[in-house]
Amino acid sequence: MTSPSVPPAPRLVVGIDLGTTNSLVAVRAGKGARVLRDQAGEALVPSVVCFHPERGLLVGREAKAERLACPDRTVFSIKRLVGRSASEVAAEANSLPYRVVAGERDLPRIVVGDRQLSPEAISAMVLQRVRGIAEAALGTPVQKAVVTVPAWFDDAQRQATKDAAALAGLECLRILNEPTAAALAYGIDGKQDGTVLVYDLGGGTFDVSVLRIDDGVFRVLSTAGDTHLGGDDFDELLAQRILAQLPAGPDPTRHHPFVLQSVRAAAEGLKIRLSSEPRADLQLDLGDRGQATLTLSRAEFEAAIAPLVQRTLDCVVRAVKDAGLQLGEIDDVVLVGGSTRIPLVRARLQALTGKVPHTEVDPDLAVALGAAIQADVLAGNDRSLLLLDVIPLSLGIETLGGAVQKLILRNSTIPTSVTEEFSTGVDNQTAVDLSIYQGERELAKDCRRLSAFKLRGIPPLPAGLPRIAVTFLVDADGVLRVTAREQRTGVEASIQIVPSYGLTRDEVRRMMLESIEHAHDDYTAREAIDVRNKAEALVRGTQKALQLAELPPDQTYAVQKAVKVLAKLLVAEGTATATLKAACDEVSKATATIADDVISSAVTKALREEPQS
Amino acid sequence: MLHIPAPDPFTVFGLPHSLDLDERTLEQRYLKLSRDCHTDLNRASDAVDCVAVLQRAAEINDAWKVLRDPWQRARALIELRSPGAMERNKRLDAAVLAAALELAEEVAFAGAAELPRLRERLQQALAADFVTVRAAITRGDIDDAARRWHSSHYHKKALADLEAKS
Repeated sequence: MTSPSVPPAPRLVVGIDLGTTNSLVAVRAGKGARVLRDQAGEALVPSVVCFHPERGLLVGREAKAERLACPDRTVFSIKRLVGRSASEVAAEANSLPYRVVAGERDLPRIVVGDRQLSPEAISAMVLQRVRGIAEAALGTPVQKAVVTVPAWFDDAQRQATKDAAALAGLECLRILNEPTAAALAYGIDGKQDGTVLVYDLGGGTFDVSVLRIDDGVFRVLSTAGDTHLGGDDFDELLAQRILAQLPAGPDPTRHHPFVLQSVRAAAEGLKIRLSSEPRADLQLDLGDRGQATLTLSRAEFEAAIAPLVQRTLDCVVRAVKDAGLQLGEIDDVVLVGGSTRIPLVRARLQALTGKVPHTEVDPDLAVALGAAIQADVLAGNDRSLLLLDVIPLSLGIETLGGAVQKLILRNSTIPTSVTEEFSTGVDNQTAVDLSIYQGERELAKDCRRLSAFKLRGIPPLPAGLPRIAVTFLVDADGVLRVTAREQRTGVEASIQIVPSYGLTRDEVRRMMLESIEHAHDDYTAREAIDVRNKAEALVRGTQKALQLAELPPDQTYAVQKAVKVLAKLLVAEGTATATLKAACDEVSKATATIADDVISSAVTKALREEPQS
Repeated sequence: MLHIPAPDPFTVFGLPHSLDLDERTLEQRYLKLSRDCHTDLNRASDAVDCVAVLQRAAEINDAWKVLRDPWQRARALIELRSPGAMERNKRLDAAVLAAALELAEEVAFAGAAELPRLRERLQQALAADFVTVRAAITRGDIDDAARRWHSSHYHKKALADLEAKS
């Protein structure tokens, strides 16, 4: 225990924005927060993972750069698949250049070569990279984080995100809603009391939240959104136009990963240019797969995306109504997400709300900055701020006849809990099954079945006599926890949970032991072997070459010295791969600086004679 | 089934069992309780404590949800004064149902021009309902309060239908 008079040392918790397109990490700094950058000075890490046939695992910019070269081994937009079933994402998976199949329990699996990966594992790789950037920038290990999700994410998607963090070796202290995070970034000291509308249009998701700021308490009044509406959809509309310009060919050509990736990249570029220019030209050369030329005006682009923008505005109206407010009562409108750079989006939102939207904080960074502030609160370093968020979708249980009885209504402030009593239907029944649904519709078949619960250990009694009080508690992450107790005997009924989506607890544990560390270890091990083989060949080859080529003694000496160092390292126990690599480079350098013509050709010749492993 | 959690919302807020609460005071109290008890600012190291803090935070949020809405507040008060009263007095007499039906039709067939006046009428009717519920509670006739609470449902429903229309 720390005595109250001694303030505890500040604990480090970072804020991570795990985006559909880009991810980034930020940390509290003074009154505000700052994003952390890699050695190249970049904050945004593309949420892209490439399983390169030669270079191994690539994450971020390096992976994105390979998207045309290795279209079927480069995974992006994984956030759209996380926490969902293979059937749900089937249509979408069709337009993705990488392969998605249905695995166990209809969970999506990404196929790369002979490996099958869960969306959580891919997300974890992105998180691990982001974590690495934070560790390098801060010079200290990072183990705890606040990770943001769209407010509209349901229980399964939140849980899957938590699992991804765990797989990346991060303890996720909070799953934070992105618009709420953005509001924090704007109203940092909470001094500016008022009602704020946050409009968050990202790469793949749309969220709108209405918040009231009251003396440092950020209270979410309502939230609405669409987990499948974002910049990617605008790109897709443009991609369709570009595809239409390509010569008619057999369908497999159009669905070729290379074509899809090229067209997508071109569409994104076109969209970005049309945000600052009245018209844009595109010339796309796909080699023997044809050429596309397209000129598009901003007006045409706006006409195409107008229905999607209208969908976001409908959400805005609903959120304001759910908050019990009129549009005129909104004091400030805040823009977040890269897609809010599109002029039409700003204009339509301004027309609807009558407020000029705030854009002071970079829309790409606001969410991470807010997450860092909440991270600092959770670390116990700041007691002046408090966030009160809501659950975006109602939770209920299935009753007789396939109807859903709502237990917790959407926009309820979390944590929240409700206790419901259940009984048995037949004599001496000792177990009861319950199905939990999330959604607003009346019938179970129209809602998402989150999980099935089996209550066990009910004392054998005549039907209807046991009184099992089941408590459904939604925690501050928006994740459901269920406990049950038989009222007469006080026996704690045991609960077995089978999630409908995502991973079971056992799977997470197992994967934590295997997947990520192993993926990295496998890669490291393979690289170590490769380098060692190369080094051995280099030692043998150079020695042979020295015999073949007649060199002046001073030049021979330099080469021999480098070879000796390398040979020694090869024999030594536990030489690091990087050290070995450096020694190889030294040998190469030594041989390169002297009599290139003679020795290089000799080395090459000698190496060629080495049996291939 | 209606479930009034224990402790009841008034107790959670440390307030007397009363229908008339000042909204601003109530809100201030909610914010203060949240600051004092929220999990974010009270991260217990012990897992058991964590659950207790979480439950306390949930209690405060759930109590606020009831107390902030006068109708929910009234319902909670009725149940506290006479447990089971809401369930016992669910059956409404034929006259109330006939009036409700008539009202529903009126809303369904109302033209756009008539909506504002109809809205005002319904709002006044609801306010009058609340006065009768309050009066019944005050004189201790909890069953009557429950009945009047239930029959006000049709005014609320008509108003909701009307809002959906406009």
